[in-house]
Amino acid sequence: MDIFLQQLANGLTIGSIFALVALGYTMVYGVMRLINFAHGDMVAASAFVGLTVYTQVMGQATSLFSVIVIFLLTASVMACVGVLLERLAYRPLRDAPRLSAVVSALGASLVIQNGIMLIWGPRMQIFPELVPQVYWDLGGVVISLIQVIILALSLVLMVGLYLFIEKTRMGAAVRASSIDQDAARLMGINVNSVIALIFIIGSSLGAIGGLFIGMYYRGITFNMGWQYGLYAFIAAIIGGIGNIPGAMMGGMLLGLFNAFIAGYISSTWADAFTFILLILILIVRPTGILGERVAEKV
Amino acid sequence: MKALQRFSYPIFFVIMALIPHLLNPRWQAVSITFLIFAVVALSQDIILGKSGMFNMGQALFFGMGAYTTAILNSHFGWPIIATIPMAILIPALFGVVLAGPIVHLRGDYLLVVTIGFNIVFVQVLQNNLGGLTGGPNGIFGLGSLSIFGLNLTSQVAVYYFAFIVFLLTLWIMHNLEKSKAGRALHYLREDQLAAESIGINTRSYKIFAFGLGAGIAGLAGTVFAVQYSAVSPEAFEFIQSVLFFSIVLVGGSSVPGILLGVFVMFVLPEIFREFATWRYFIFGFAMILSMILRPRGIWPATFGKIPKFLIKESKHGA
Repeated sequence: MDIFLQQLANGLTIGSIFALVALGYTMVYGVMRLINFAHGDMVAASAFVGLTVYTQVMGQATSLFSVIVIFLLTASVMACVGVLLERLAYRPLRDAPRLSAVVSALGASLVIQNGIMLIWGPRMQIFPELVPQVYWDLGGVVISLIQVIILALSLVLMVGLYLFIEKTRMGAAVRASSIDQDAARLMGINVNSVIALIFIIGSSLGAIGGLFIGMYYRGITFNMGWQYGLYAFIAAIIGGIGNIPGAMMGGMLLGLFNAFIAGYISSTWADAFTFILLILILIVRPTGILGERVAEKV
Repeated sequence: MKALQRFSYPIFFVIMALIPHLLNPRWQAVSITFLIFAVVALSQDIILGKSGMFNMGQALFFGMGAYTTAILNSHFGWPIIATIPMAILIPALFGVVLAGPIVHLRGDYLLVVTIGFNIVFVQVLQNNLGGLTGGPNGIFGLGSLSIFGLNLTSQVAVYYFAFIVFLLTLWIMHNLEKSKAGRALHYLREDQLAAESIGINTRSYKIFAFGLGAGIAGLAGTVFAVQYSAVSPEAFEFIQSVLFFSIVLVGGSSVPGILLGVFVMFVLPEIFREFATWRYFIFGFAMILSMILRPRGIWPATFGKIPKFLIKESKHGA
């Protein structure tokens, strides 16, 4: 029972990171029908940007103010990178065959990943301890302050995003564009600014996810983006790609699944079990758990 | 221009046949690598370019062929030449079995599932399943190739082995284009619904394409194992699949385009060794730029001998 509760806590922590990253994938896919392969590397880049902000801008201070500045600055930098990425690599290919955009996304991923390597070096860097190491022992289950912060902040962000998408005019524009871009354009929605908006939101959430990865795991490497990106993308698919609550749920499910595999079976087989789960879900429900049946042109 | 087109293939083959005698051992090794990866890229083209299935796990079949040869040779003492049929059959069989439940998936889902297969495969290799795969270090010290008592250990001999495999692949692809199966794959890539409605069994043709592509990649794996006399998991990582995927699409799914892509991806880095750390950074930019400038690839493929006035630009397919 102790293992179960402990892995439940760990799984929810990892799951909320997956969910934050998955939101970026699912929103871009929803509107543009494109797997943004560069998103995972943007997440990795944000951990490094956060590290640089910590050492260069904040002079290695770990006050609450410094943490807030690191989060805001990193998120804004990554939002700019995201918009730039869309302008340069994806917008010219919006009317091209779909695979061309996929190759462009793969190219962007290589550029960002190796850009990190060229700037920060190929070796693992240690992310600063931004939050004091406080642990609570709840009858055999150890929960750290960082886990509580990750979980709470992720929940706040996700609820905020959900309300934004469901309750505001701009959110309605995003939803309309993801149903039918041409019809949305006819209704007077500026699809270009909707796309810019989803890249801003997706990249900032991904940046926060990247900072969480740095704070939780401490070691950050230039090529970790593929790993987290792939998991987050699987989370988005499990939940039903293009579906925002689906990405949140998929992320949590995948985090829990991974934690239980690591706790009860073996962490060396975690990838294999994750993909087997994905394949089974796709065979049973090809559009994910919350995905609606879409009538797509063949 | 016509004359150039007509003679370019014979000239290319003659040059490729003479190359090992003109180069020093290091460049001979590079040319062998070129041939091996060209065969894998062409096998990827059968699945991705010719049939339009988003397969991003070709390194799986490549690695499976290499590991089949390595395991049969090192654990069971088979001579390399005897492992070749198995190195084709086992990946081909796996291609069919894995493709069976997933070929109906829509493009991007198929892509993620094939990535998954690749990652599971590498994890199996690294975890040394059944004590056969040798874990993260792989298997080394394989025997050399010998036919009828002739021991083919020299680089030049391995080159010609690779060259024969390369020619065989080109021949298969040439025939595929002219055959019923090739036409069926072409139609189902252009428009699956239309292909189905004129009586093409799309499902079995898709599985056939997977099996064929996997078998050829497996054969390339044998050449790889012979060339390095070792196999290890990192040679078949998912990033390799990404490279093959990109080569086919950037090349435009035509033979010259793919060969050009393989040359740029695997031979140029050998020439510009001092830029090794910039390699993927530059490739990434090149991939984005080439797609923006030529969305259908640098050298777009044309199918068969269709009169120009019949070809209508469509948005479908690669």
